[in-house]
Amino acid sequence: MNKDLLHTPEGVRDIYGGEYRRKLGLEQTLRQVIARCGYEAIQTPTFEFFDVFSREVGTTPSRELYKFFDKEGNTLVLRPDFTPSVARCAAKYFMEDRVPLRFCYTGNTFTNTSSLQGKLKEVTQMGAELIGDGSVQADAEMVSLVIDALRAAGLERFQVSVGEVEYFKGLCQEAGLDEDTELQLREFISGKNYFAAQELLQEREVAHSYAQVLLKLADLFGDMHSLSQAKALVQNTRSRRAIERLEAMDRVLRLYGVEKYVTYDLGMLSKYHYYTGVIFKAYTYGVGDAVVKGGRYDNLLHQFGKDAPAIGFVIVVDDLLEALGRQKVDTAPPLQKYTLTYGRADFESQLRRAIGMRSQGLCVELVPEEGLRQADCAGGPDR
Amino acid sequence: MSEDRYLTFALGKGRLADRAMELLEQIGVTCPQMHEKNSRRLIFVNEELKMRFFLAKGPDVPTYVEYGAADIGVVGKDTILEENRNVYEVVDLGFGRCSMCVCGPAGARELLLHHERIRVASKYPRIAKDYFYNKKHQTVDIIKLNGSVELGPIVELSDVIVDIVETGSTLRENGLEVLEEICPLSARMIVNPVSLRMETERIQRLISQIRSRLEAEGKDGRG
Repeated sequence: MNKDLLHTPEGVRDIYGGEYRRKLGLEQTLRQVIARCGYEAIQTPTFEFFDVFSREVGTTPSRELYKFFDKEGNTLVLRPDFTPSVARCAAKYFMEDRVPLRFCYTGNTFTNTSSLQGKLKEVTQMGAELIGDGSVQADAEMVSLVIDALRAAGLERFQVSVGEVEYFKGLCQEAGLDEDTELQLREFISGKNYFAAQELLQEREVAHSYAQVLLKLADLFGDMHSLSQAKALVQNTRSRRAIERLEAMDRVLRLYGVEKYVTYDLGMLSKYHYYTGVIFKAYTYGVGDAVVKGGRYDNLLHQFGKDAPAIGFVIVVDDLLEALGRQKVDTAPPLQKYTLTYGRADFESQLRRAIGMRSQGLCVELVPEEGLRQADCAGGPDR
Repeated sequence: MSEDRYLTFALGKGRLADRAMELLEQIGVTCPQMHEKNSRRLIFVNEELKMRFFLAKGPDVPTYVEYGAADIGVVGKDTILEENRNVYEVVDLGFGRCSMCVCGPAGARELLLHHERIRVASKYPRIAKDYFYNKKHQTVDIIKLNGSVELGPIVELSDVIVDIVETGSTLRENGLEVLEEICPLSARMIVNPVSLRMETERIQRLISQIRSRLEAEGKDGRG
């Protein structure tokens, strides 16, 4: 036997048995919660043209994409996330629609991340996108949907961090930062790397008053109180509007009754540059990163020729499953399975019994007796 | 979020851990168990504060923190850069100051002025690669060594080395010198992103206590 054949490449793995049962159970629970709010399932291709995930769109960096070529020499990419695909799809088939569109999806995504960090390169994502609704109500619907889904999954101890990228952009504009500095600063602040940010601002000779405010960003997280603090720090309308937006959203979240799961973090900035407004991430114990990521991307559909605001989120199913496992939350009841054994003589009666039980919805496995297993598997028993 | 959960610290073994505990003691976070002589304990607990401490090899500290096995870590900036883990770097603790440098014999200075290919030995291949590829745009062969990197240029394994320089005395004794400084280093406090969200209040309180303590000492930042 060739032992090399048994291995999978680094970053991908087999999922089977009880683990897969729990995963399917979890997916079903999540899907029900999302579907209840009117989200229609959609399936997009596993690979697409490179341009759909290109730099202009602002998704995963090119070197982390799995790329290959078709016969005409076009570059194809295994999808690193769903949002650009769904946006492309919405632009293509619903160009004229003016009513809000609600889509949800499940599938595997692929990112060629660095080795030996214990991260999977293929993960299952489940998400929802709400296209054509730019309101605060839509923002709140998404955030509360995330909370409902996580609670339905059995998670109790988690926090959804909500930020607003416009606040940061407004500040950068007010301070007159160039794009390069803004990008670097974004990285430092989202890494809460106060000192690197301080150094950068000194090096680029940013006015002291602005630098102080920008540095505060890394610390601006917590409850509603941090929002009013943040509001007092800025003069520009872009940033102020961002705060007012979050305040308005908070009022709607209270109507949903989910405010206790929400905290605000204005220093949270996504690595996906297509986000334009509210962004959010859900954190829980047991995994090192957010289990849900999402946000508003009002310009993305424009790239595909349709002008429509949109907001969406994605649940990293594998990470959520891991977190549930570590917190000892059972996601699927153990399977009730009956096993019927048959010999040479009683196959017919056992088969009839099995058919009868199966028609009542029971799970029945037919197993040949010890002596029958090796022999003529091709011809069936009693030949 | 909950006071019943332990807040776990991973400390880089050695001087770093001692200095970190000194600082923590100044803000009232103590762990008498750590001072017990001849103890074979691996993990030290303060039941009152619901805090746990353990010592780990430097490069492992960011790993423990990334996975959430520790909520907070204390480790050198060099390790953070080299390991490149998804952690928040929240406080510059000010001690353990030194710098990451390109070093070699004086004659090697010339080699750094052009883009021609040179050999670089280092314990920090990622930092070396990042510096030469992205900042200097110079092609280099990187040789990973695990210690006594200064030997590299002496036995002509490499043209230059990338290593931490504190006082420079080891370099001078071996006829080497600092050719270029890559970045300043010091001990940092890192936090797991999830812990910061789930235990916001406790961790934030700790951070601000440490920051104000450092400011009082005047050791904070570059000032």
